[in-house]
Amino acid sequence: MSRSSSRIDTKKVNSELVTLTYGALVAQMIKDLDNADDVSKQLERLGYNMGIRIVEDFLSKTGSGRCLDLKDTADKVQMAFKMYLGVQPNVANWSAAGDEFSFILDSNPLTELVELPDDLKNLKYCNIICGVLRGALEMVHLDVQSWIVQDQLKGDSNTEIRLKFIRRLEDSIPAGED
Amino acid sequence: MSLSNRPKTSILDKPLSKGKGEVSLSCFALLFSEVVQYSQNKSSTVPELQNRLHSLGYNVGSKIIDLYFVRERNAKREIKLLNILLFIKSTLWKALFGREAEKLEHSNDDENTYYLMEKEPLVNKFISVPRDKGSLNCAIFIAGIIESVLTGTGFAAKVTAHWHKGTTYMVKFDESVVARDKQLEDK
Amino acid sequence: MTIHNIYIFDHKGGLLYYHEWNRIKQSGMTSEEEAKLMYGMLFSIKSFVNKISPIDTKEGFLYYKTSKYTLHFMETPSRIKFVLNTDNNAQDMRELLQQIYSQVFVEYVVKNPLSKLSEPIQSELFKTKLDAFVKQSPSFLAKPL
Repeated sequence: MSRSSSRIDTKKVNSELVTLTYGALVAQMIKDLDNADDVSKQLERLGYNMGIRIVEDFLSKTGSGRCLDLKDTADKVQMAFKMYLGVQPNVANWSAAGDEFSFILDSNPLTELVELPDDLKNLKYCNIICGVLRGALEMVHLDVQSWIVQDQLKGDSNTEIRLKFIRRLEDSIPAGED
Repeated sequence: MSLSNRPKTSILDKPLSKGKGEVSLSCFALLFSEVVQYSQNKSSTVPELQNRLHSLGYNVGSKIIDLYFVRERNAKREIKLLNILLFIKSTLWKALFGREAEKLEHSNDDENTYYLMEKEPLVNKFISVPRDKGSLNCAIFIAGIIESVLTGTGFAAKVTAHWHKGTTYMVKFDESVVARDKQLEDK
Repeated sequence: MTIHNIYIFDHKGGLLYYHEWNRIKQSGMTSEEEAKLMYGMLFSIKSFVNKISPIDTKEGFLYYKTSKYTLHFMETPSRIKFVLNTDNNAQDMRELLQQIYSQVFVEYVVKNPLSKLSEPIQSELFKTKLDAFVKQSPSFLAKPL
């Protein structure tokens, strides 16, 4: 099932279209929900929905098989960042047990042109990425948690997204069988 | 997370990016898909959903004006109606969607109305066109962008999206805008 | 050569899509029943194939063949399952299944904001594209032999 990597996702769009569309969406959510924490949660959920779809696109384009271990997962997700956002994060800060690590981004198209006003300092603007990771990995049977550790919008020098492996999910059993 | 007190460079201190960054089309398609679904969950009728998408587009458009006029036109605005339409058809479309819009036409019946046509808008690429074609056209989002750019540069107009030869954006200018443009011509 | 029919199942085993081209004999069951049985069979055969395998399997179950037809199976790492029944002469069906996944399913279902991934596929665009895609494949012949 190996597809040549040269064919991988050549169609591109201007990243500002994504930046501004995302910005308009977040602004609208703030209007609708009126609470930074709820918006952060909603963004994560939205990301989850994107994740369960984006993983199909990724698998179909790369022809990649199941992950051998978490290291392999990290490499694949790193590649996906490059494919979808055009930026390549570093994989770093592995926990001793090897079940937790971080993606470190020094630039991020989502936050380009963005500045958080003082009353929204709690907003996890990039929470959508955490959601995408959770959704995408759940589809390949990995239950993970993901959260933002450092945030450029809050003055940190880069954006760090943490990922923790919880457990492997099992295949669903056909209806009517136990 | 600690809210650091480090001095932060304001966004205005940074140079304006060239706008050449790219992300994958799939990424945009899926983001837009969530935008549509989020808006759908917040609306109970199709017109309501259209309004939401239109207003999201409007917000995108209002940011684009400054960005693109500064970047592409040395901060000079257009004052002629036809020129702003051409700016949208070519410069803006190219920057946002990577190609020009296909056609720009002046309505035969109504002086104030123009049509901008596009066979397959980026936002509709993956959407199954409903059979009756009377219903939702997600390109209303793009109509919002156009309306915002026009209105924001002093050409007040209403822009809507329709299923016609692909998608047609109907641009209906305010009487006053067309009258003003005529005066300019007479000079 | 000919292609008889296709089943697509979501990761939970729900039938997302069924279509037939040259199906000469019906099973006599309702389509829900048939889909359920099909999924159950795939589930069992998959786990059996892996359990009994004398060496480490990578992809496991790929197809089975009778004297009259072949059932081709492809499962993505996200557990979406594609099943294609063809006659025994059809070649390179894995390639075709992979293409159906990447060029039709992902493009017109996954990226379609109006279609949910866990509900039967309604999109006309998907149906037309899939139909065209299968019909242009060399293994498809309108008249059954």
